[in-house]
Amino acid sequence: MKLIFRIVFDRIFTVLTGLTVFIIVGALIAILGPMFRRGVGAVFLRGTVEFRKVQLAEFGHGDEAQVRAETERTGLVRAKVYEMIDRFKSGIDTRQLSERATEIYRAFGAELKLKEIPREQYTALRSLSRDIRDRLIEAFAKADIEQISQDVEHVLQYEKDERLKGTASEDFFRLARQYQKAAAATNLNKRDEYAKELAELEQIITELLGPRPTEDSPTLAQFRYGATRWDQAKKLLHKLHWKELWVEQQSSASLMRIEKSRIEEFAGTELEPLFRYIDDNLEKMLEPKPTFYWRYFLDDSTPGHYFGGIGPEILGTLLLTLLSMVFVVPFGIISAAYLTECTREGPVVRIIRISINTLAGVPSIVFGLFGMAFFVLFFIPLFGGPSKPCILAGSMTLAVLTLPVMIRSSEEAIRAVPQTYKEASLALGASSFRTFMKVTLPAALPGILTGVILSLSRVAGETAPILFTAGIAVGPVPKSVFQTTRTLSYGSWDMAVADKLSAQVPHNQYGMVVALVSLILCMNALAIILRSRVFKRLKGH
Amino acid sequence: MNVSYIGRTLQPAAGFKQPLVLTIGQDIKGFVLRHLGRLALFILTCTSVLAVFLIFLFVILEALPFLGKFSIVEFLTSTAWYPQAHDRPEFGALTLVVGSVYVTTAALVFSVPIGVLAAVFLSEIVPFRIRDIVKPVVEILAAIPSVAYGFFAVLVLAPWLQEHLDFATGTNAINASLLLSIMALPTIISVAEDSISATGRELREASYALGATRIETMFKVVIPAAHSGIIAAIVLGMMRAIGETMVVWMASGNASRIPRPWWDLSQSVRTMTATIAGDMGETEQGSDHYRALFAIGLLLLVMTLLLNLVSEYFLTRAKKSLGKS
Amino acid sequence: MRTVIVCALSVMVLLVSNSAVSAEKLHIEGSTTVGPIADGFTEVFKDMYPDVTITVNKSGSGTGAAALMDGRCDIATMSRFMKEQEFKNAIAKNVFPVAHAVAMDGVCIVVHPSNPINALSSEQVRDIYLGKMINWKQLGGPDIPIVVISRDTSSGTYETFESFIMKGQKMAPSVEYVSTNPQAFARVEKTRGAISYVGYGFIQTGVKALTLDGVEPSRQTILNGKYPASRPLFMFTNGYPVLGSMTYKFVTFHLTEKGQEVIENKGFVALTDY
Repeated sequence: MKLIFRIVFDRIFTVLTGLTVFIIVGALIAILGPMFRRGVGAVFLRGTVEFRKVQLAEFGHGDEAQVRAETERTGLVRAKVYEMIDRFKSGIDTRQLSERATEIYRAFGAELKLKEIPREQYTALRSLSRDIRDRLIEAFAKADIEQISQDVEHVLQYEKDERLKGTASEDFFRLARQYQKAAAATNLNKRDEYAKELAELEQIITELLGPRPTEDSPTLAQFRYGATRWDQAKKLLHKLHWKELWVEQQSSASLMRIEKSRIEEFAGTELEPLFRYIDDNLEKMLEPKPTFYWRYFLDDSTPGHYFGGIGPEILGTLLLTLLSMVFVVPFGIISAAYLTECTREGPVVRIIRISINTLAGVPSIVFGLFGMAFFVLFFIPLFGGPSKPCILAGSMTLAVLTLPVMIRSSEEAIRAVPQTYKEASLALGASSFRTFMKVTLPAALPGILTGVILSLSRVAGETAPILFTAGIAVGPVPKSVFQTTRTLSYGSWDMAVADKLSAQVPHNQYGMVVALVSLILCMNALAIILRSRVFKRLKGH
Repeated sequence: MNVSYIGRTLQPAAGFKQPLVLTIGQDIKGFVLRHLGRLALFILTCTSVLAVFLIFLFVILEALPFLGKFSIVEFLTSTAWYPQAHDRPEFGALTLVVGSVYVTTAALVFSVPIGVLAAVFLSEIVPFRIRDIVKPVVEILAAIPSVAYGFFAVLVLAPWLQEHLDFATGTNAINASLLLSIMALPTIISVAEDSISATGRELREASYALGATRIETMFKVVIPAAHSGIIAAIVLGMMRAIGETMVVWMASGNASRIPRPWWDLSQSVRTMTATIAGDMGETEQGSDHYRALFAIGLLLLVMTLLLNLVSEYFLTRAKKSLGKS
Repeated sequence: MRTVIVCALSVMVLLVSNSAVSAEKLHIEGSTTVGPIADGFTEVFKDMYPDVTITVNKSGSGTGAAALMDGRCDIATMSRFMKEQEFKNAIAKNVFPVAHAVAMDGVCIVVHPSNPINALSSEQVRDIYLGKMINWKQLGGPDIPIVVISRDTSSGTYETFESFIMKGQKMAPSVEYVSTNPQAFARVEKTRGAISYVGYGFIQTGVKALTLDGVEPSRQTILNGKYPASRPLFMFTNGYPVLGSMTYKFVTFHLTEKGQEVIENKGFVALTDY
């Protein structure tokens, strides 16, 4: 081939090989980047007053006086929202009005029973109030303002009745007047539409501001509070203004998603200024402040991780990994010591090495199967323990998984100690055991520590082995090693695919997996730094 | 100076705390302890052998009733996997095996070229300082847990594939293969790089002396010389990919079928590992389905064992060829 | 070095010695459909009875039944009634399962909101899951391939779907399997051509529930049985629980107002609501 072609090819391929590294680094950034960006929002956020309420009520952190003051302040601003809604509702929510009328009727009946009046009067008054109630309920259902006015007039004529003065029946008249005023202000034909739209609107406002101060507190924690994060609030604000609709473009083609303005729906009614009011005053209603939620790593979470942090998961991961280290480090160091010090390469050692390599190659799910079949169903019951998944079984399974890593890095560390150390010690008359314990092992210790950290990081990230042996998605903080536990790895899997509520709290989803990845990366970085320092130190000799 | 032997005490020599000669008692004690100690260490070291043995034993024990009850031929060749069917449960694992091999092969198609070229780049073309920065980056890739990759696959990559490449479904073979290739890359790069670096300077110098360009030296001299190590790297990468569970469970769609046409990576597949992980939580212990899952585990174990032996063979060949040159 | 070992050993001793937990425990296992109800009850019980430890495991109705028979759990949540074989196994192990129906649920067919189709018949859904229909245009929709998603076998939702719609026929191999209701929901939400079935409690904005055989899934139609794929959700106990015990309180909680609020909040239909 001509020289020039060869040189050109040379340059092209050189660039190509360089490109691969860029692809690798690019892949790393593409994977970690979005996750970190979304996960960091779990710890650094603009928290609203609802967030502080959750912290105080559910977890017991925070300044009670301050939260109470904030609740009062925001309550004042929010009151106007509720006022506007109530006023609008009184014209259109016929069901509530009918219920109110029935309530008044019953209250009046109860009052009459307490007073001592002759039987005929009692029946007469009762039927009178029943007539008034029925007339009102009819009026509520009608859509013609003329007819409504007639009905209301009919009811109001009884206001002058002496027998009804000073009783609960006076509320009837108040209700009638209120209704007349509201009905005059609303387009009664669109009442049903308004009712439906209003229901949706109220739902969004409840999500935004939480349940009304006058309502009963809902049973589930998820519904007791409004938007705890400012970004969540902004999304809800958008949802408030725009309604999502799927409309037909052509027949039998996919529907297209459009957004319809809700303000248009309520155009011309009393409720229109509500939207602008909320726009202008949302900050005052929620009082967002930049928050550094470091307790995220310590707090427990409400079911579904809707509120709260990942404390139990971190604890579970730590328990599982540290316990497995307790099992694997002795075996690893002793095996490495035996392989380096006590034997030469023979058939026995070859079998051992083949086993170690095989162990390293076994897939993690088969470890899970083995862990379940052996530790959970056989080994632990052998010693009288319960035949159930538990932290002990999980950590023993993980110990077997990580044994090859431990043996390999310990061996490497021990072999890296220069022969001169060992020879000098032997020359001074120490036995080989003593030499090992007092000279070789301490010198190899930083290298062994690197191995321990690498094993730890491997074990912390494993999910498949603990699926059937120790991990659960929802459960209490473990108090003994015979219970199962939540861990970061199992929790990340659960949040990604299995949990119903997690899609509504993406910051918690990503927060958990980012915590896991950060933990592992920190441990690996520590191991790398340690290893390079050890390398330098030993090479210097 | 008083030195005496059997049974009688010795006086210490001038200034020394220990006698210069041992009594028979001390001698025997030292001998016994030393050998007992070595025996104890040997037994403890054999735990790893014991562990492998136990793994095989227990998996085979749980799988054996299944293999006795249903025909092995049907297990390995039938494509019907309906373990919970009421009338006649079928346990044909062919689709699962094909699924595993399919995503692994596709992953290797991506990762082998990139891995080998990157290994070449790191060992030859780049100065040591940059190499010391890039190697930790590759190690970081290896350290990221598989559940994080799975998270990315199902929440970020799958919607992206659906929107931008207009696939019918985002959890499919290509999603799983892409992520498996990223996970296999560090293994391939590190083993390949080790074997490329281990080829001696003489080969390269001879090649340059004959007028070859750098790339020609790489592809015509060094890589062929290191080919055993590179093949071992590929086999190890294959082992990693075939044994991976969480990523394929979340990303591959779990449709038990063989893609038709065979090159259509945008269809969902189901692997052996995902089947074990997904079905185990729902089967009762001791049922046929449960034992079938252990049978799949056994199959997986046998496959990885074979791959392990193959990689060992190539690694020893690489060491031998290095010894010669 | 020595201090490290001493610390590690003492931690281990503390952990192991704490294994005698004196508080009362309640373990619940079973369906992923009924699981959220059990979770909701657990949350309320945590406030009402702080000394009791309640754990909920969601892995499938079949596993719950097996766990009850083995005595590994106190309550088995199931989204289907126990099968004949399961009853026989239970009796053989001296376990007498008692069913408590706690809520009503409907198995709803869901598609992506952009799908113009609003109603399907059971035969059409069956054909889709048998692989006879592979493109939406065959049903009068856009030219998009149908992505068929099903729950993993041994889930109660799968069993209900199978008995009402599939009528015993096996699904096509091209069907994708997901292991939980939320996963099915997430797949349909993000995939234009997807179709799947979820429990009524999992329907939120983001997917569209179809009218099946002319009946729209709603609280009324599920409760009065008009909706073809409606089913009660069960909690099974071993024998009738001792009156006043924690198990008793848990399985009768759906009769209280708070329990019904939880059930409604989780999107199911309370049984006492006619």
